[in-house]
Amino acid sequence: MENLLKKLTKFNKIVLVAVLILNVGFFMIMRSNTRMETDLDEYMPQEHPAFVYSNQAEKWFNIKDGIIIAIENENGIYNSDTLQKVKDLTKAFQKMKEIEKSDVTSLYTADNILGTEDGMDVKPFFKRVPKDIEKLDEMKRLVRDNDMVFGRLVSEDEKITLIVAEIKDDVFSQEFYHRILELSKEYEGPEKLYVAGSPIVEGTMAYLGPKDMQRMVPIVILIIIIVLLALLRSFKATILTLLVVLFSTVLAFGLMAAVNIPIYAVSTMIPVMLIAIGVADGIHLFSHLHLFMKKNPSASKRDAVNDMIHGMWKPVVMTSVTTAVGFISLITSQVYPIKYFGIFTAFGVLMAMVFSLVLVPAGLMMFGLPGWKDKPEKAKRKNSKNIGSAFSSWIVKHRYLTILITISIIAISIVGIGKVWINSSFLDKFEKDSDIVLTDKFINTHFGGTSTLNVILDSKEKNAFKDPALLRLIDEMQDDVEKLEIVGNSFSLSDYLKRMNKVMHADKEEFNTIPDSRELVAQYLLLYEMSGDPENLWSVVNYDYTKVNVIFQLKSDNSKAMNSAIEIIEKYIPGFGEQNVEINFAGSGYKGLVFTDLILMGQILSLLLSLIIVIILLSLMFKKVLAGIIGAVPIVITAVISFGVMGLFNIPLSTTTALLSSIAIGIGIDYAVHFIERYKIYAIRTGDKAITSEKTMQHSGRAIVFNALVVIAGFLVLLLSVFPPNRALGALVSLNMFTSFVGTVSIMYLLLYMSNIYFKKKQNKEIKEVGNEN
Amino acid sequence: MKIKKLHILVLSLILLPAIAISGAELTGLQIIENVYNRDTGKDSKGNLTMSLINSQGNERVRTIKQFIKDFGKVEKKIMFFMSPADVRNTSFVNWSYTEEGKDDDQWIYLPALKKIKRISSSSKSDYFMGSDFTYDDLGDRQPESDTHKLIREEKFNGEQCYVVESLPKDEEYVYSRTVTWIIKDKWIGLKKEFYDEDEDLLKILSVKKFEKINGLWIILHSEMVNVQKKHTTKMELSDVKINTSIPDRQFTERMMKRGL
Repeated sequence: MENLLKKLTKFNKIVLVAVLILNVGFFMIMRSNTRMETDLDEYMPQEHPAFVYSNQAEKWFNIKDGIIIAIENENGIYNSDTLQKVKDLTKAFQKMKEIEKSDVTSLYTADNILGTEDGMDVKPFFKRVPKDIEKLDEMKRLVRDNDMVFGRLVSEDEKITLIVAEIKDDVFSQEFYHRILELSKEYEGPEKLYVAGSPIVEGTMAYLGPKDMQRMVPIVILIIIIVLLALLRSFKATILTLLVVLFSTVLAFGLMAAVNIPIYAVSTMIPVMLIAIGVADGIHLFSHLHLFMKKNPSASKRDAVNDMIHGMWKPVVMTSVTTAVGFISLITSQVYPIKYFGIFTAFGVLMAMVFSLVLVPAGLMMFGLPGWKDKPEKAKRKNSKNIGSAFSSWIVKHRYLTILITISIIAISIVGIGKVWINSSFLDKFEKDSDIVLTDKFINTHFGGTSTLNVILDSKEKNAFKDPALLRLIDEMQDDVEKLEIVGNSFSLSDYLKRMNKVMHADKEEFNTIPDSRELVAQYLLLYEMSGDPENLWSVVNYDYTKVNVIFQLKSDNSKAMNSAIEIIEKYIPGFGEQNVEINFAGSGYKGLVFTDLILMGQILSLLLSLIIVIILLSLMFKKVLAGIIGAVPIVITAVISFGVMGLFNIPLSTTTALLSSIAIGIGIDYAVHFIERYKIYAIRTGDKAITSEKTMQHSGRAIVFNALVVIAGFLVLLLSVFPPNRALGALVSLNMFTSFVGTVSIMYLLLYMSNIYFKKKQNKEIKEVGNEN
Repeated sequence: MKIKKLHILVLSLILLPAIAISGAELTGLQIIENVYNRDTGKDSKGNLTMSLINSQGNERVRTIKQFIKDFGKVEKKIMFFMSPADVRNTSFVNWSYTEEGKDDDQWIYLPALKKIKRISSSSKSDYFMGSDFTYDDLGDRQPESDTHKLIREEKFNGEQCYVVESLPKDEEYVYSRTVTWIIKDKWIGLKKEFYDEDEDLLKILSVKKFEKINGLWIILHSEMVNVQKKHTTKMELSDVKINTSIPDRQFTERMMKRGL
């Protein structure tokens, strides 16, 4: 291997041209065949039972996410102008190609089940806009009397009314959103119009996140370049390091395009990982080269490059292989985008390895060694050497304090981990004072809620849901769940029947109950069908009355809110079970909840799995189990602290933040391997713990500090992002880099030191060799 | 039985043969009036099977025994549900008036409630019993409500047909346009296309079976498909008896409550 690499340096032009051609080729594939996947449903494992069921239920009951348009008139909505706007907007939405006519609900389309002196009537509140006061007052009274509409489509202060337009999952686009905004703007004044709803929130997020990233990434790269330049103090070294990162990213995305896998939102994390990891290889290589050149100022270009390859190929291969294996463990995830994330990051890491070992030497042979000026360097080196050895001796001296601090940090982190909560909310990803959050809040304070949870009751028996006992149980469950503050209201077949029963008994409140017999239920339903358009009925019950859809409106889309409702609903499982009715959940909110759980479970499993694999690999590489276990320490510390900080600072776990723990593996391994490898070499050479410590700190320790500084500086820039999830990303990447670094040079070093590893019987024998080499 | 206006009947009895003999081309309006006024008897009774099929292919079937009688200015219809079992003996009475603009009167008897209740349909463009047929589609729409134009003649399903396009005079009407294929000399609408407010095809009505009973052409099977909602309604009549002199008392409250 080493010989092969050395031979390759003789053909540096060919190598450079080959690398360039390879990259241009992959870049072309990437350009021609890359596509983004923004449909969130595509991210979910479609074969998972929860999704299979929910998708079916969405078809049965035509469950779709709704865009909500609120029309507010300070003087009340009951005037011809405002009502005309309700009608015109409703019709405008019905005409949009993304929306089906029957999927728009407003005061204009809603059915009013109305009691008349000798019967029942189902009719719209208005067809032609009422002009005179009496008719407007009449309408106001009708709405107030109908609690299927009052508080749901019209606010209780009668100043706001809603239009809900349900759309399919995959039609939302920025263009569509802008058309809606423009349309609603046309109708402004004196009324105020607000646009909200989960498609808007999801769509804006899918748009805002990458857009913000596009703006931030150049700054991140710029900062990394500056810091690299400052630390490596060589233009050539900086360029070569960056090329390694760039080329490995191009190859990873090029391969993705070549095998026709789209870019998912999580795929944007691949370059993040490759920057953090790819930079490390370069820094370690140049750090080694630098030390060699300082010791041997007169050495030839070839000698310097050969020494770099000799000294570094092993740790570079070891770190890359272990990191790649760590990422490949993500293949166990049930979520495809995460599987792909793991595979292609692993591929990228391996490519970074190849380029580090091939491109960097070739580049150095071609363009010459970095022109490090040694004079000022000497003073500095002494300085850094002093810091390194001072730090290592401090650690050794205060070993028990170090251990104590480590243990207490871990203990605090574990407390924090207990507080970690999962959040599948989309809304929580926006600024608290952003339009989208404020609009949502506004609608939630006046209406039931902008988020929906669908509870599907499923019986095998035909006409099961004409049974009054079951209908009463549904009603009871609704009442129970509605006691929660975050649950605004609920809606089911029971509401229809209570309303009809009341209306058929001269509007007497005591008949606002479920009818007593199955026949009466069936006859009311027939009557309803005969009186009006039964379309609305089919969103709460299916054709043969074997399934019902109970709709809960929630005032928040975060996981805590949804789980608190689910908890109460699940108490009804035995009750419905007795009647052979199954409870299931459906809707995009619920799917998001399950999805987040899946990602986290997968992430935790793969973390554990990769930890085991890494321990085994490290044990094999260093031929000692103890080394493997010690090498795993930075990974564990980084992961534990990462989750702990999230718990303590109330940062909820989401898909992005959970994936960041992968950095713990990638970086943790790198640091551990480089450090242990150097430690081993110096231990064997010198047989002296103090010298070994000092030299290791000087060599690996320095490179690790550089690596951490570069990436931290780069990612801290993301704190200036306008998009909160990107800020969290920046903070957590920086944190993970920092803890990996500190964990490696403090506690891991201390454990190496205390374990006496590599310092046993070999001592005497190895000293001779060391003498030869130096 | 759709002889709503006696004078129209009289008029057409006098005029029709004259037009036929003279060989002059019929106007769209005349063709539609011929359909509207086609003699379907003074009264009729039979069993109606109404099948509703939704977009997922689920089907609900109702069987109904119905009696219809023409009382001159009003046509009365009484329907008794035979199945499903939980609505058995629910009865429904509809009075449809020939007077223009006058809405139907309707009552329903719910045996579980033991009460007759009145239900008012707000307009003729309401859907009938949750089916894809509106009251108008079932044959109640008066020819004068639309302007008709004969657009062509063609052979359709083996029958020589007039193709008539009808545009509503009322702009707010649910359909912007309908196109009807009418069998020459039988005056049966064999197929009809309904276009919605946006001029998009909404529904297609097809007559699948018609027979001569007591010398009168009676439509037995028809099917309405809402192509936008992918919902289908099939109406199938069986045991049809025409002109059996159904007594007037068949349409009273007492009969509603008595059931089958």
